[in-house]
Amino acid sequence: MSSVNRPDGRNGREYWRSLDQLSQTGEFKEFLNREFPQGASELEQVENNDWSRRNFITLMGASLALAGLASCRRPETHVLPYVKAPEEIIPGIAIQYATAMPLGTGVYGVVVEAHEGRPTKIEGNELHPSTKGASNAWIQASILNLYDPDRSRRVMQGASEKTWSDVTSFWRGELTKHQANKGAGLAVLSEQHNSPTFARLVRQFKSAFPMATFVTWEPAGDELKIEGIRIATGSVAQPVYDLAKASVIVSLDCDFVFGESESVVNARGFADGRRLKSEKESMNRLYVVESAFTSTGATADHRICLQVQRIGAFAIRLAQALRAKGLAIPSADGLSSIDLSDIDSKWVSELASELLSSRGRSVVMAGRRLPAPVHALVCAINSALDNVGSTVAWHSAPDVNVTNANEFATLVNAMKSGSISTLFVLGGNPVYSAPADLGFADAYKKVATTIHLGTHVDETAEVSTWHIPQSHFLEAWGDARSVDGTLSAIQPLIEPLYHSKSDIELLALVVSGVDARGYDIVRETWGASITALDFESKWRRALHDGVVADNRTAAVPALIDSGAVANALRSADLSSDKLSSSSMEIVFAVSGATFDGRWANNGWLQEVPDPITKLTWDNAAIMSVGTAEVLGLASGDIVKAGYSGRSMDLPVWIVPGNADNSVTVALGYGRRSAGSVGTDIGFDVNALRTSKAPYFDAGLTLSKTGRTYVFSTTQDHGSMEGRPIIREATYEEYKRDPNFAPEMVEHPPLESMWNEHKYDTGYQWGMVIDLNSCVGCNACTVACQSENNIPIVGKEQVRKGREMHWIRLDRYFAGSTDEPTVLHQPMACHHCELAPCEQVCPVAATVHDHEGLNVMVYNRCIGTRYCSNNCPYKVRRFNFWNYTKDYPETIKMAQNPDVTVRSRGVMEKCTYCVQRISEGRITAKKENREIRDGEVRSACQQACPTGAITFGNILDPNSAVSQAKKINRNYVVLEELNTKPRTSYLARVRNPNPALEGVSCGRG
Amino acid sequence: MSNQSNQWPHGDVLITGNQTFETVTTSVSRVVEQKPGKGWWMLFLPSLALALMSFSLVGQLFYEGLGLWGIMVPVVWGLAIVNFVFWVGIGHAGTLISAILFLLRQRWRTSINRFAEAMTIFAVICALMFPTIHVGRVWALYWTMPIPNQMNMWPNFRSPLMWDFFAVGTYFTVSLMFWYVGLIPDLATLRDRAKDKVRKIIFGILSMGWRGGNKQWKHYELAYLILAAVSTPLVLSVHSIVSTDFATSLIPGWHTTIFPPYFVAGAIFSGFAMVMTLSLIARKVWHLEDIITMRHLERMNIIMLVTGMMVGYAYSTEFFIAWYSGNEYERFAFINRAFGQYAWAYWIMVSCNVLVPQTFWFKKMRTSLVWMFIASILINVGMWFERFVIVITLASDFLPSSWGYYSATWHDWALLIGSFGLFFTLFLLFLRFLPMIAMSEVKAILPQADPHAHHEGGH
Amino acid sequence: MSKFREVTQIMMAEYASTGALMHAAEALRDAGYKDYDCHSPFPIHGMDQAMGLKRSPLGYIVFTVAVCGLIGIMTLMWWTSTTAYPLVISGKPYFSFQAFVPPAFAITILSAALTAVIGMLILNRLPQLFHPLFYSERFSRVTDGGFYVSVESTDPKFDAARTRQLLESLGGSHIEILKDA
Repeated sequence: MSSVNRPDGRNGREYWRSLDQLSQTGEFKEFLNREFPQGASELEQVENNDWSRRNFITLMGASLALAGLASCRRPETHVLPYVKAPEEIIPGIAIQYATAMPLGTGVYGVVVEAHEGRPTKIEGNELHPSTKGASNAWIQASILNLYDPDRSRRVMQGASEKTWSDVTSFWRGELTKHQANKGAGLAVLSEQHNSPTFARLVRQFKSAFPMATFVTWEPAGDELKIEGIRIATGSVAQPVYDLAKASVIVSLDCDFVFGESESVVNARGFADGRRLKSEKESMNRLYVVESAFTSTGATADHRICLQVQRIGAFAIRLAQALRAKGLAIPSADGLSSIDLSDIDSKWVSELASELLSSRGRSVVMAGRRLPAPVHALVCAINSALDNVGSTVAWHSAPDVNVTNANEFATLVNAMKSGSISTLFVLGGNPVYSAPADLGFADAYKKVATTIHLGTHVDETAEVSTWHIPQSHFLEAWGDARSVDGTLSAIQPLIEPLYHSKSDIELLALVVSGVDARGYDIVRETWGASITALDFESKWRRALHDGVVADNRTAAVPALIDSGAVANALRSADLSSDKLSSSSMEIVFAVSGATFDGRWANNGWLQEVPDPITKLTWDNAAIMSVGTAEVLGLASGDIVKAGYSGRSMDLPVWIVPGNADNSVTVALGYGRRSAGSVGTDIGFDVNALRTSKAPYFDAGLTLSKTGRTYVFSTTQDHGSMEGRPIIREATYEEYKRDPNFAPEMVEHPPLESMWNEHKYDTGYQWGMVIDLNSCVGCNACTVACQSENNIPIVGKEQVRKGREMHWIRLDRYFAGSTDEPTVLHQPMACHHCELAPCEQVCPVAATVHDHEGLNVMVYNRCIGTRYCSNNCPYKVRRFNFWNYTKDYPETIKMAQNPDVTVRSRGVMEKCTYCVQRISEGRITAKKENREIRDGEVRSACQQACPTGAITFGNILDPNSAVSQAKKINRNYVVLEELNTKPRTSYLARVRNPNPALEGVSCGRG
Repeated sequence: MSNQSNQWPHGDVLITGNQTFETVTTSVSRVVEQKPGKGWWMLFLPSLALALMSFSLVGQLFYEGLGLWGIMVPVVWGLAIVNFVFWVGIGHAGTLISAILFLLRQRWRTSINRFAEAMTIFAVICALMFPTIHVGRVWALYWTMPIPNQMNMWPNFRSPLMWDFFAVGTYFTVSLMFWYVGLIPDLATLRDRAKDKVRKIIFGILSMGWRGGNKQWKHYELAYLILAAVSTPLVLSVHSIVSTDFATSLIPGWHTTIFPPYFVAGAIFSGFAMVMTLSLIARKVWHLEDIITMRHLERMNIIMLVTGMMVGYAYSTEFFIAWYSGNEYERFAFINRAFGQYAWAYWIMVSCNVLVPQTFWFKKMRTSLVWMFIASILINVGMWFERFVIVITLASDFLPSSWGYYSATWHDWALLIGSFGLFFTLFLLFLRFLPMIAMSEVKAILPQADPHAHHEGGH
Repeated sequence: MSKFREVTQIMMAEYASTGALMHAAEALRDAGYKDYDCHSPFPIHGMDQAMGLKRSPLGYIVFTVAVCGLIGIMTLMWWTSTTAYPLVISGKPYFSFQAFVPPAFAITILSAALTAVIGMLILNRLPQLFHPLFYSERFSRVTDGGFYVSVESTDPKFDAARTRQLLESLGGSHIEILKDA
């Protein structure tokens, strides 16, 4: 991959020299003179290497067309006029590469689309256990991080620009000293990893500097999860769920479809359990116990609303109930005093009996916020229910570097005491993200030499003695294990855009002073584990697939150390303080957009609305209706939030169904130095966070300030007004009335006054969206944004109602404000056969094509906007400003060359990814066959983790989409308007426990 | 010749003050022949300033884009379309007075038809400004015209916007010709009265060498009759077609068959209100009490009362049909109109358009200059809000998820004010340079114009 | 303007009232004059009969052109939407004539109106910025309150003396002979 073009044109020169040689061939000259007169005249310029982008394209076109022209003789020299020719690159044809995106203690296997060596789109890797071909908003948006114009571009020492060689020479100077005193005073603060190579380097580091400290810390990680498993089983392992096998799922504060680790596959597994091709099939049942509404809570069949600090108690109560039914679960009798009186006891008993009745087919999941003993208890419960090995497995994690709060605190104290003289920060941004009580920033200043490796000149970089730009995962070599231990290779698609290094390259330098290339470092690791005999072939295979096939780490046997669990529970402080409006619970959550703030400068993520609140560009103090009433607060009020002696201003956002006296705030906002996009967006709640209770704690007070704050939400109105837009029934009702969805609306026979156009030949594209699978995770929205070059418009424009997302997720609240349910509905252009938008356009800028697509002709559009008025679904988007005019060069590189970049004054909308359809048609034509079902997939469909979206040819009775449209849950929104949409929905079915009918969920 | 007392047929005294042909000529021509008074300048300069402001705003709009306005999804049509419909409506009274009343032989129209027609033309100019500037890519606007082009693309004649383009375009052209044809004899008068050479040449050219010969009058009268005859269906069709911009859509609150007649009634209603406002000012400034008499004003008030009640009837019918249809979206749209987030606009509309005209039941109010002036302005405020209420229905359509609240920006409002500036600038220039009253027509209805009045030898 | 070149001279007489003018018109008609005209500030009801003029043909012209306009625009819409560039729009037929009615109507009206105006000008030989009558000082009152009869010398019955005497006998005053200089 090293021969991929760099934008600075270094390889570019060689490239043109090669075209020079090319220009000697007769056909080429003749060709240019005939087809590209201006191009021919460029050839002289080319010689003295003076070229414009336009000529570039012209000549590119020339060389491409020439392939066909002169392929009779020695085609290879003509087809790819590179000196160092990457055989596979054909200009204009995108290539897919497998690589992986590490995140926390896991990794997402991805396949990246590259155009002429320029990565443009990321998809999940079918072969990878953590994505299985799907993805989420973070994976989709990571392509934009690569091209972020605010990325740090060069090594800095203080304010002065330096180079990598300065770093190496500096460190080589230091190294001897540190080797001499065994690394005393030397410390490395690293992000989480699950990488053999990184682990190897860490081991080397520890042996090279026995006195040095190596600490892994991130604001949010699976530390407590892994610790819990260690308590229960005595070995370091990560939980791997197979929810498709589960018929009963209990989530204890675990947002497994969205916020937690491995959300992609867990959402998929969960959805597999409720696809319901007919009323005869069975579906799983999901119980969720949580405080703030999450996507998981929204998909739940039963949602118990409980403050986080009491969910541990709930777990114990559940365990006791199971024990009472004779299950071998370590006792936690010491904690039988916990008050859960406001939760109907029927709850726990019914839940317990249902779990018992479905042993081996149930699973209990605990969220990363819950204390380790609770996780240990959950392990015990799962093992007692024989779920281990079927719905859950614990795979040993030999190479995991998980965040460790205690070690971090110790390190900070050491820094304060001045015993640390040299500190390497390998990624991360602790100055911003460290809990307030640690006073990390001050401690950091006390360290004589601080070397920060980071993607941006962020809060930490600003106060470091050295700053080294960090490579994006698409720029660097590496490896990583997924939670089940499957090994993935991380291969770059592009040479670093700037003078950046990866963390393994820096760590390798730290360890040995040798400036090794990431490529060699990784191969060294693998060489040790893979037999040298067929190393090359295995290596190439791994690069090709992105994963090393079936090399999962061993699963830990389900032998629970009951004593350890019991002790842990006894020693754990699970007694819940009394909560009131004067002493509330504060809960820290990772942001669905910026995670812990690392993606704050990613416009796609900032603008994608939160699944529940629909807020963009902000975090807020989320609280229940009841709490807001007590405190006399309304959404938008700014309150002074006081907790453990610190206080800050926060704007309030009220969400029905939040636990009372519990306030959830998202990490990852209020960055002071994130870049042009993310700086000063939202509120930095790390200012309230403490190391003793990093996730939740009591003692929060809120006081009115009288000031208000303006939010930007993409949906003002949360009620469905009793309209049959999202159609829903319980499983029982569905069984009784299988056709409830299509029959929900009475309307006269849908006939036209004229003979309609027949769409009875060729491909007729259509889509089905299964509302029973959709969890509202926004993967489709961001995937669409990436695929279709959709601009971001900024907070102010979103507030005005001018967001540009082609596919949006409508969120409705239903039921009472005490026990509401949340429904999600993806909404994009329905490609109506009798499209109302078309007839009103005076210039025929939106018309129908022969494959039933409602096509939008940007070049013809004059922007009367009547089409948007007349669209019953309001899915059309208008370019009120010239959003794309001032794109920086790097952002231009992120654009999909197959899709027009729209300018000011034109309407745009979902095209069913017409560019992908054409690509599929061309491929099929070349191979002289029909397009296969599933060959053309829309971006939203491909990204969707739950496979809720089906797309294809509705004329083919065997196509997946035709099959889906035959399901009796299939219905069309606003069918009575007789616009004959091509997109239809599968009604949602909830599966509440009949035994619990009428039993209150409580409001915590 | 004209020293005998005037005997008006049927005692129907349309012109008071013992007018002769000469007095009519002088009292009308005087206005354009003398230097404009203080009053004129005091009205003209501010109007001109506003007109220039609107031009600069349009320039800014072309340069920066539609983001300057308050429009958003779902309300992508805002004040621009409101103003368009409002101004087109204003125009209607002009054509109505000049064409329909002419066909109905309503002789009293002659005193007001000239500047009613002028008002039509200037109102339509203001109206046309808005659809022109409201498109996203104004430089491609000509694609709406059926002209051969390199793309081989043609307009979509199914679109109500295309219908608009044809209807309003035709309306403007026809009104302009109607107005000019009516002007020819009076231009000749000005030519013949002109003292200095420049005026003589200018009006000489404009009047095309009119000689008032009966052989000319013969064709002239028929042409005028035909123009009146074609303008009548035209004026009724224009606002009907404008109403299809809304009526042919499927948006609840827009998709209504009552719109065409209801829009026409509203147009006449607001148009007469505007004629009233203008004629009251002109009457005062140039002392035309004898030519624009109280009976003219009273009759216009009666027309406003009638059309006002038609409009009120339409409002109530809409609600009835919404309820009767049993369509939940339709029902919501109208409940929301009256009690939703834009209720304030709705009730302004109702009070100005339905309640205010009711006062014209009483002769005292009908003949009170002060009240009819206030009422005429209130009615136009109300009619502007009617269009606002209709356009804003977009804010809440089928899917609650896409509901929004539209609020206009300073740029929106400034353009509305600017359009009034443009209108009054043009109108004041007309009053200054052209005869505001059709002299030849007024003369034709004087008693002494009747050849048989004192020549019993006639047959 | 050819007609105008033939005009060598015009005899013009002023009359006191519409009645007098109409009386004169009838007398000249009965005397068999053709090339004469009666000028007044406004159209006088019944003057056509008094002068024995035929009805204006303008109506038929306008009707014909209007029909052509209607056919023309309908043909254009049919051709563009079915032949030149057929597009599937809202699944409607290529030739959705119902939707084509409004433009067709507007164009019909427009062609009628344009013909009416242009036709009128042509029939009246306007614009004609110069005419011998404009030599007369008094004739300028024709657009104010004056009534005039003008007899052209091209009329076979024209005879300077007799015609003048006839006009006087009908109550004409300020009789002038206007020559084309």
